[in-house]
Amino acid sequence: MLAYIVRRLLWTPVLLLAVSAIVFALGHYGPGDPVEIQLGQHYTEEQADRLRESRGLNDPIYEQYGRYVWNAIQGDFGESFKFQGRDVAELLGPKLKVSAQLFLAASVITIGLGVPLGFYTALKQGTWLDPAIVSGSLALNAMPVFLTAPFLIMFFAIKLEWIPVAGWGGFFDTRIILPALTIGLPGVAVFTRIMRSSTLDVLGEDYVRTARAKGVHEFVVNYRHVARIALIPILTLVGFSLSGLLGGALIVELIYGVPGVGRFTLDSLFARDFPVIMAVSLIGAASLVIANLVVDILYSVVDPRIRYQ
Amino acid sequence: MLRKLIAPGLGLALSMVLIGALACGGGDSDDEATDDSDVAAGTSDEPSDSSSGIEISPALGGNPTAEPSERSRTEGDKYGGTLLLLGGDPPTLDPALVSDTSSARIVLELFSGLVRLDQNLKIVPDLAETWEMSDDFTVYTFTLRSDARFSDGSPVLASDFKYAMERAAHPDTESTVAELYLGDIVGIQEIIDGDGSVTTASGIEVLDDQTLRFTIDAPKPYFLAKLTYPTAFALRQSNVESGGSLWTDNPVGSGPFILEKYDIGVQMILARNENYYDRPAYLDRVQINLAGGGAMQQYETDEIDITGVGLSDLDRVQDPNDALNRDLVSVPPGFTTSYLGFNVEEPPLNDLKFRQALAHAIDKDEIAEAVFSGLVLPARGVLPPQFPGFNADLQPLEFDVAKAQQLLAESSYPSLSDRDKRIEITTQGTGASPSLSIVAMADMWSRHLGVEVEIQLVEFATYLQDLHRNRLQAYFAGWEADYPDPQDWIDILFHSESPRNDGNYSNPEVDRLVEKARTEQDVIRRTELYQQAEQMIVNDVAWIPVWWDTQGLALIKERVQDYNFQPMTIEIFKDVWIQE
Repeated sequence: MLAYIVRRLLWTPVLLLAVSAIVFALGHYGPGDPVEIQLGQHYTEEQADRLRESRGLNDPIYEQYGRYVWNAIQGDFGESFKFQGRDVAELLGPKLKVSAQLFLAASVITIGLGVPLGFYTALKQGTWLDPAIVSGSLALNAMPVFLTAPFLIMFFAIKLEWIPVAGWGGFFDTRIILPALTIGLPGVAVFTRIMRSSTLDVLGEDYVRTARAKGVHEFVVNYRHVARIALIPILTLVGFSLSGLLGGALIVELIYGVPGVGRFTLDSLFARDFPVIMAVSLIGAASLVIANLVVDILYSVVDPRIRYQ
Repeated sequence: MLRKLIAPGLGLALSMVLIGALACGGGDSDDEATDDSDVAAGTSDEPSDSSSGIEISPALGGNPTAEPSERSRTEGDKYGGTLLLLGGDPPTLDPALVSDTSSARIVLELFSGLVRLDQNLKIVPDLAETWEMSDDFTVYTFTLRSDARFSDGSPVLASDFKYAMERAAHPDTESTVAELYLGDIVGIQEIIDGDGSVTTASGIEVLDDQTLRFTIDAPKPYFLAKLTYPTAFALRQSNVESGGSLWTDNPVGSGPFILEKYDIGVQMILARNENYYDRPAYLDRVQINLAGGGAMQQYETDEIDITGVGLSDLDRVQDPNDALNRDLVSVPPGFTTSYLGFNVEEPPLNDLKFRQALAHAIDKDEIAEAVFSGLVLPARGVLPPQFPGFNADLQPLEFDVAKAQQLLAESSYPSLSDRDKRIEITTQGTGASPSLSIVAMADMWSRHLGVEVEIQLVEFATYLQDLHRNRLQAYFAGWEADYPDPQDWIDILFHSESPRNDGNYSNPEVDRLVEKARTEQDVIRRTELYQQAEQMIVNDVAWIPVWWDTQGLALIKERVQDYNFQPMTIEIFKDVWIQE
């Protein structure tokens, strides 16, 4: 087990190196020049060249990349192009914190609704509740955020005036509710479906019938014998849903004015702020790798049949 | 004498950007998220950034219904309150580095210089009490106010200006604007071009604590105007050197406000500078939400006090029965011309008659009415109305289908077989569909001339790069004035040697006229030179100017008084007050 974890961890830097090389090359060879964007309407070639020189953009790409990797290893992700004089780490830190909290809140909604609903529909298989809940959650899943976000704002913020439209006040502030719902609700369907089918599988197992035959109380059967086992596939989903952190949060943060990493990344992309783009890509890749590793480890904890060599 | 020189409006304001340009990087993208892509600049941008007009009617400032009580108020009653705004992160708060409007609008509140633009965009004294010029217009001597103070209470001295300007020019500062705004001063160019060892400019002399003398390289009518730009603002050396590159987290300036709090991407709070030399600002605070979100929705829930109105909300806010209608104000336009540019070296656009045919085939009135609900004005020439040097007598290429068809027949590319491919118009945008106005033009060419068009929509950074490399055949863009001088358009965009002549337009006569205008001291003569050049440019169809912004719409809460929308970014929060 330990050897497995170490091996996985050793692969992580290799993966990050590959990701960084790809992103770096895309930035370098792709269209758009950060210097031109910053200089705006008026500039002379000499000015542009001076700025490129001072940022090392005139050096051969392998030199630039080598320098980046060397600095990054030492924990220095460079200075933002756009926010002159500011370290990328200093800029990204608070935004990551915000996005992480939003992601956590969204996950609470997705999992907190999806898993019980899935379990419940499985138990109610054959009644009208089963198709009603499943199709209801699928409808939510089918709605793009462009639709759900304005609707939620219209209803809760403007009509009912319960919650402010935009802004951020931390995890325990009401303003987190709407963006968390917007990100979280579509995922409910996925968890409902997986939990439902996984519960149905377990319900058909011999040991469940045995437990019932022994006269174990229905409540205990459902929650101790069925639910715990049915939860295993959910773990996989949790790991994957992390990848939605950046993608999903991007637009939602924009709409609700959440000062997270999503909106910042978008702005940085348009400004060709390479140091920021690089750092975001690396953080995204690293968190995905680590989340999946954690899930793999949890597997072996909850399911004794799984052993890693 | 001074007045005469500057009165025709050679006031210089802040470097603005191509429409929608730095806006992406700034914070105006929140507007883009909610507004139609076809919204004219004046309606979609934040009002304080670019909505504008030279003549500002008094009614625009506050709500007319509140006027009587305003008059009965005493000065003291006006104090207090917080103005709530939505904005974007300023890329910098360092006056030496300011090159965009979102930075400028904050820096102008925190710092100040010798002269400033007042609400009529005239140059007026700020920290300078008086100034005089030598007879040959190359030496300017300023006398500072004796009561000028930094926000920490220390006096502003002549040496603080010398320090600030020489620092702005120093290569280590990496200012992209120092050359443009300070380069006329003798010795500044040497600092900029130097390796860092040259640190002083002989053209800036400190005669005593209160007296500062500039020597410039040639008589330039616009030099004084350039001193209104932040690169020439006073800085306290100990403040700048205390904080490394992040000294702007705790800036000590001489403007009407101080920076109370700044969380990047979250919020900025400006507070009244109690040490300001003049009447302190009425507002306790200006709180700017930097995290974005829907502007209109935030306005409706009282989270912000001011918002621009996009085309999608137009019908609603113009409905007298809608609650928002009460707050609606019309904001005068920014100095912007939206145009179709041509690379005049690429066939078939290298043929003058072909270009003229294209120009005559566009019905600009139809575009203004059908696409923009009359919120824009069909453009006749390059310079927008009310801009210094605007020529009301300019002869435009009118919409005339018969003439267009005749010109096409006379051109080298009369029929489809002579033009092997479609004309490609590139424009910047990341939406799904291009601006309706371009589609309309393409349709007019197709219907009247049989000229087919392909519209390319590219993301801004790509667009900018291709444009500057002269890779585009035709491009649709907007040019917004950096400073109120025709030189900013006619010379910079059309002189054959100009780096911003993106269409390779070259007319020796135009070159001759704008070169002459560069040093022409007589304002009337200078204007004539630019107007002659402009007429040639229109006749040569280097551009097809399509529309000018005429007015934008904004919503402003009833409680906000004396907020004056401006055509350019100037310091404006000092006079605003809140009626609770």
